[in-house]
Amino acid sequence: MSKEIEKAGLPVALISAMFPVAQQVRANRIVKGVSIPHPCGDPSLSKEHDARLRREIVRTALKALEAEVKGPTLFSPPLATGG
Amino acid sequence: MTRLVYIVNQFFAGLGGEEKAGLPVGVLEGSAGAARAFERALGEAAEIACTIYVGDNYFHEHKEAAIKAILAAVGAAEPQVLVAGPAFNSGRYGLSCVEICNAVANHLEIPCLTAMHEENPGVDAYRELANARVFCLPTAETTIGMADALGRMAQFAIRLARRESIGSALNEGYLGRGIRRLEKTHRRGAERAIDMLLKKLHNQPFDSELPMEVWDDAVPAPPLAQVKDRNIALVTTSGVVPWGNPDRFKTYRNTYWRKYNIAELKELEPGKWEAVHGGYNVAYMNQNPHYGVPLDALRTLEAEGAIGPGRLYPAYYVIPGNQGSPAVMRRLGQEIAADLKKDNVEGVLFVAT
Repeated sequence: MSKEIEKAGLPVALISAMFPVAQQVRANRIVKGVSIPHPCGDPSLSKEHDARLRREIVRTALKALEAEVKGPTLFSPPLATGG
Repeated sequence: MTRLVYIVNQFFAGLGGEEKAGLPVGVLEGSAGAARAFERALGEAAEIACTIYVGDNYFHEHKEAAIKAILAAVGAAEPQVLVAGPAFNSGRYGLSCVEICNAVANHLEIPCLTAMHEENPGVDAYRELANARVFCLPTAETTIGMADALGRMAQFAIRLARRESIGSALNEGYLGRGIRRLEKTHRRGAERAIDMLLKKLHNQPFDSELPMEVWDDAVPAPPLAQVKDRNIALVTTSGVVPWGNPDRFKTYRNTYWRKYNIAELKELEPGKWEAVHGGYNVAYMNQNPHYGVPLDALRTLEAEGAIGPGRLYPAYYVIPGNQGSPAVMRRLGQEIAADLKKDNVEGVLFVAT
């Protein structure tokens, strides 16, 4: 789906915990999500930290839209644990 | 003797070109047009009971009536197999061949065969329908491949008429529909997997028992300068929808998308939203829908100025992505892209589960 949107000329920042799959299917701007059932945040964190992590993930995605890329590129949010 | 019914468009029936594309369904006794050459390729083993034609435009403009008439004509002829095409790279014809085969296979429960070039849009429809009774053979792009196509189609049609069991797409030469079939073998999975691995390590060719979809590269869209001055929208496959699932999404294999208004909202309140998705544990998402639709973060970034005022699209797009077939997802992506462009959206945040 995201690739069809890109083909139409709109850059897409794909937030996904399954980033190896996203790379395999050749998405271009991939942002590392936390986990499959909760890509934007981490329920094991305090409410405040969870919200901050989510903000950093979205901020990274916005930056990814500004980035010049040539092919599948992975962007890691600064606070993400990746777990 | 084996009996077949043959379907062609107005052109391959020999009735005319584009000016006759509005012709309704008609039935010619025996073989006519392209069906004549097909009957020669069949040899003595089979005969064509009748040739049914339909105009390329008529079919798509009067689909229900056309399919009804075709089902009646095929039913009356009582064939063992239906053959449609070959459509080469003609899009309307390819689509009608696939849709006719699908309808006949479902209603009359007989095997159906068509053939066309791999890039014909009919092949996408064929893969999307994935009907176990419908087979499509690959052909050349143009009628240069006619003799070759008819020869292979004739042999395949005779096997279908005899109800022979047809093996995998790879071995039998038809276009794969992505149907997984059970097969008996005396060698267990671990042995077969190790065999494949050894071949791979020695750079020898091997055939996977579960071929993966081949993905094409999408040329990256150019980046946005100054994202804060751009119109941004959120799309998600998480399946987060208003509580009660008003558009009745299923937990898997959905075929449509929806968008839900968030213009007046600062955040998504738990209990007013739910995640409909059969592919992951939705408990976290139900507790906090922001894991799929990070509206709280977007509003904070708006307040900080990272997203310009009024730049966030007033609705988010959603589909539960579970088990979506690549062909359907491609179509949904195209539809969403068209909708976004209509409203001048310039960049997309896409949350995938």
